[in-house]
Amino acid sequence: MRGTHRVALTGLSTISGIALLLALKPHHADQPPLSSPEPDSGGGHGGSAPSASGGTRTGTFTGDAVQTKYGPVQVRATLDKGRLTAVKVLKTPSDNEKDRSIAADAVPKLTKEALAAGGAQVHAVSGASYTSDGYARSLQSALDKADSGKHGASRPAQQGAGSGQSTTGRGGGRP
Amino acid sequence: MAVTTYDNRPRAGRHRRTPRTRALRPPGRPPAAILVAHLLVWGGAAAVLGLWWADTPSVLGAAGWLTGAGRITGLLAGYACAVLVALMARVPAVDHALGTDRLARWHAMGGRFTVGLTLAHVFSIVSGYALTGHTGLVRQGTDVVLHYPDMLKATAGFLLFLVTAGVSARAARKRMSYELWHLLHLATYAAVFLAFGHQLANGADFAGRLPAQIVWYVLYLGVAALVLWYRVLAPVRSALRHRLRVAHVREEAPGVTSVYVTGRRLDELAAQPGQFFRWRFLSRGLWWSAGPYSLSAPADGKGLRITVKEVGGHSAAVARLAPGTRVWAEGPYGGLTPARAKSGRSLLLAGGIGITPLRALFETLPGEVALVYWAHRQHDLALRSELDAIAGRRGGRVHYSVSGPAGHTLPMDAGTLSRLVPDIAERDVYVCGPAGMAETAKRAVREAGVPGARIHHESFAF
Repeated sequence: MRGTHRVALTGLSTISGIALLLALKPHHADQPPLSSPEPDSGGGHGGSAPSASGGTRTGTFTGDAVQTKYGPVQVRATLDKGRLTAVKVLKTPSDNEKDRSIAADAVPKLTKEALAAGGAQVHAVSGASYTSDGYARSLQSALDKADSGKHGASRPAQQGAGSGQSTTGRGGGRP
Repeated sequence: MAVTTYDNRPRAGRHRRTPRTRALRPPGRPPAAILVAHLLVWGGAAAVLGLWWADTPSVLGAAGWLTGAGRITGLLAGYACAVLVALMARVPAVDHALGTDRLARWHAMGGRFTVGLTLAHVFSIVSGYALTGHTGLVRQGTDVVLHYPDMLKATAGFLLFLVTAGVSARAARKRMSYELWHLLHLATYAAVFLAFGHQLANGADFAGRLPAQIVWYVLYLGVAALVLWYRVLAPVRSALRHRLRVAHVREEAPGVTSVYVTGRRLDELAAQPGQFFRWRFLSRGLWWSAGPYSLSAPADGKGLRITVKEVGGHSAAVARLAPGTRVWAEGPYGGLTPARAKSGRSLLLAGGIGITPLRALFETLPGEVALVYWAHRQHDLALRSELDAIAGRRGGRVHYSVSGPAGHTLPMDAGTLSRLVPDIAERDVYVCGPAGMAETAKRAVREAGVPGARIHHESFAF
């Protein structure tokens, strides 16, 4: 019996310790981990869709280089009268073979999704959540530029996620 | 009577560990050593958690919680594997400071804990990824195993780990020989090796982070070096240096055999009375496993002697050893030595084959010494004539107790012990025997007024 009690006690204290660690972390999305494709955090992206299709701009717009945990992601969007027709990926994490292979796997899926959606509302590709998040944000910044009428990428990056002090357009401010 | 019909089944002859045997803390093992060991182990765990903490900006949604739990349990399991192997590296300094039995107990507890961590890691990572990617558990699990780097190896390691955990479970262990169990247990080395790659390739805290990778490499390579040196190279070196051989074999009692071993430079082994070696006899059917047996006589520089009770497997084959058989002995291990005695007067309590280390101590302990020896039947009292001779020579006292027919039974309780040895409370007490006997004896000794610090017992835990 004592053995069983000890096992139960050890298990419970381990679980509560891990839960405590997780609970102590911030739970809002102003940082890039685990791009969350759920509707709750998709508000920012959703709001941008009309702007992409509603605008009349034509041309290529380079998005911000979004810093993710594994490296920068940057895309260039091509719009034809406000319609997203192509996404060219300029930068993905490529520090090592693993990053390259993950990106190579994820990028075509993301582009397919983005073109189908006509905007930056892409679901995270499993196993490439950081890259997916960076992709969505870089694309969003390109579309924002198209809206505001600026070609190219001369604007300072709004989405400096790497600094930890980012001010993304997503909802969910600090409580 | 229950007190003398203690569990003396064959298993007992090998000083095999039984669960929940808790050695008291003897003065030979300063609490400081235990404290330092705790600080090192838990400090390392805290550092590993710190790695996760520093790398994790936030935890988002249910998927974030699951993946986070998966990362934490994965990191801890990876760290625990290194610690578990290090505990079994048989580093002499650590062995003497903490005691072989304590190390094995920590290893057993930590092993069970690590199995739990690993299961939790696999489940939470797969379900966390599945939630993020909106896929089913099975599909996500297959994807992780087949498409993530080094995951095929890690999966093989995980399955091997589960098999080992299964055979180490108490119920399964009772049905297989110690040697087979031990051999299967060695498979965990392969499991740890197979699982190493996926930690660095997939772990969010390692991928692309050189400093963390270096720390992990140092941890694993350091432990591997300890194991390689102390469990492989040092025994080989010792075998070449001492060239041990079986001199002769002698039956001491029914099923109890003494093996006399000779070799070169035996004084360099510095074996103390009460210590044990792990013996590997290089004969057919025996070479692949090593049996832990205590020296049953003080090492005199010319020879070593062990006395083994036949319990099947290794110990049964020992009786048939031919003179000249080469021997590899790894050791000495164990801290049940005369150095533990503080009072200058001792009492030795032996149960069955537990007499072996106490026989060596009976001859060598300084000051007054008394021995109480419990066995099943009269003819099970192995080494009796030697004990009588030593008692006569040094003026020690021996009390025999047998529970067999027409035997003279001594209850193992405080009253009896105090009557036999009136100054028991002032003595050091050494206990060796089957786990049930040892527990009963220690309780009786405590009730007789001996402080815990002067009760010396090592449950030979393997």
